[in-house]
Amino acid sequence: MNKGVQSVISDSNIITSHPVMAEPFGNALIELAKKNDRIVGLSADLAKYTDIHIFRDAFPDRFYNVGMSEQLMMCAAAGLAKEGFIPYATTYATFIARRCYDFISQAICEHGLNVKIIGGLPGLQSGYGPSHQATDDLAILGAMPDLTIIDPCDAVETMQATAAIAEYDRPVYMRLLRGNRVPVVLDKYDYVFEIGKAKLLKDGSDALVISCGEMTMRCLDAAEELEKEGRHVAVLHVPTIKPFDRETVLAAIAERSCPVFTAENHTTYGGLGTLVASAVAEEKMIADLHRIALPDQYLEAGTLGRLQDMYGVSQKAVSETMRSVLS
Amino acid sequence: MDTKINELLDRAYNVRKNVLRMGYVDRRGFIAQGLGASDFLTGLFFHAMRYDPKDPDWEGRDRFLLSAGHNAIAVYAAMAEARMIPEEWLDTYGLDDSHLPMSSMPKYTPGIEISGGSIGLGLPIAVGMAMGLKRKNSDSRVYVMMGDGEMAEGPTWEAATSACSYKLDNIIGLVDANGIQADGLTSTVVNTEPLDEKFRAFGFEVQRINGNSMTEVVRALDNAKNSEEKKPHMIICDTVPGTGLDFLIGNPKSHFISLDEEGWKRAFEELERGKE
Repeated sequence: MNKGVQSVISDSNIITSHPVMAEPFGNALIELAKKNDRIVGLSADLAKYTDIHIFRDAFPDRFYNVGMSEQLMMCAAAGLAKEGFIPYATTYATFIARRCYDFISQAICEHGLNVKIIGGLPGLQSGYGPSHQATDDLAILGAMPDLTIIDPCDAVETMQATAAIAEYDRPVYMRLLRGNRVPVVLDKYDYVFEIGKAKLLKDGSDALVISCGEMTMRCLDAAEELEKEGRHVAVLHVPTIKPFDRETVLAAIAERSCPVFTAENHTTYGGLGTLVASAVAEEKMIADLHRIALPDQYLEAGTLGRLQDMYGVSQKAVSETMRSVLS
Repeated sequence: MDTKINELLDRAYNVRKNVLRMGYVDRRGFIAQGLGASDFLTGLFFHAMRYDPKDPDWEGRDRFLLSAGHNAIAVYAAMAEARMIPEEWLDTYGLDDSHLPMSSMPKYTPGIEISGGSIGLGLPIAVGMAMGLKRKNSDSRVYVMMGDGEMAEGPTWEAATSACSYKLDNIIGLVDANGIQADGLTSTVVNTEPLDEKFRAFGFEVQRINGNSMTEVVRALDNAKNSEEKKPHMIICDTVPGTGLDFLIGNPKSHFISLDEEGWKRAFEELERGKE
């Protein structure tokens, strides 16, 4: 095992003060497959790095490794779905969004096929540099009609969403949090994942944070920190990017007269912040909007902790941004 | 055998007539390709494949995937002859609200399995369907029709790799090697040959035939179906675009032919003469 590779890839899961869980996606898929024999798995030589290797080991005859052929994998998943199976296809999010767009579009989404595409290393989760940093996957894939897009916050939600999308007979792209140490956060908030539903995890009147994916985890931590300083920050979690729960988001903004932050592990271009801003504009609402997101540029290579601080998406950076606006 | 071949040749004539009928709607189109592909498509639809014309979703059907959707004209022509679609639809080919768009899509036409406008997806999707059929212990096969120009698309070779690695012997691919593509002759745009050697090197069981000889088409399809080899099958069909209409053969603009009223009259007459 190359220790260097391992540490760069799973850094994000190690930097946490929360309890952790191993391979939530893979474990949820195994449980699902025990009950539903239509579930099959595919990967393009990244089984081990997308947590589907434990599914492969549990159900070797229900798993297809197609090697480094991501475009083929999308089409093969389409073919399996056409034959009545529910394929979960995994690779890195960059390869899904950038390399496979045409294949996901013409083979899968044009026909509403029941394929689940699972993307590892979404947003900034790798220090490898732009090739492995899917900073633009929500913008790219968000343009595709009829694709449902899910960005889970933690291990709890990853497990719930893995099961929920199997029951949902449509194409889905889900961002993956993986590894031996995926934080467990949402159990404290009595949370249940529902496709297409934004949920208020914490109430507050000094600021509203609208966030998705692992940024919700960091925003909750930041909100707890600010609570101790006497500032009450509400956190609205939006795990489904498409279809966007516009109604809940706009209601949460309208109910409060305070600064509104959007927070996403994605660039400022075409992700959650863009969705919120355009919804606000279309409703002719006035809101004091602040975006916490990655810059619209190719990011540097390096260690993940440093990069997350540098680009303003670490928990520390989120707290500082909020403080500077609220003071 | 001769009776069978003669019956198939009659079918092929009807398929060609359907191609011209569709071409006449807008007085232009992918006519030469349609004529060139008519013989092996006749072999597929009236000799090799198992299907129920009245039930395009019948689970026991052989799957037919048109990868290069531009060649839909030829497939619609064969489907109409097979009574899978009503003959009247041919007169609406490519028009607004037609069931027969220029490039084939499942949404518009019953019996069309995949969309093919962006090409190179047929063999990759076939890999998944072939895996799925094997999972279901189905004896249905997946037939995929591709083009030789299309062989420049990378995913076809990704699919070829996995099809052989997973021993998907329930795939029978057909490449319509008509030698033409959008920008000219395939040999001058980019040479995709030697296709038989390439597929053989990947691990396919390969046959290369004259795709306009019904005898060779029937023999090749029978060989592929009866083969004991645990390999996917590929039939490279060398075809001549415009077959059936001598005056179209060798036309450098044969990728997308446009004819005046006089030309159309001549086309229908010449096709009929050829039958006799």
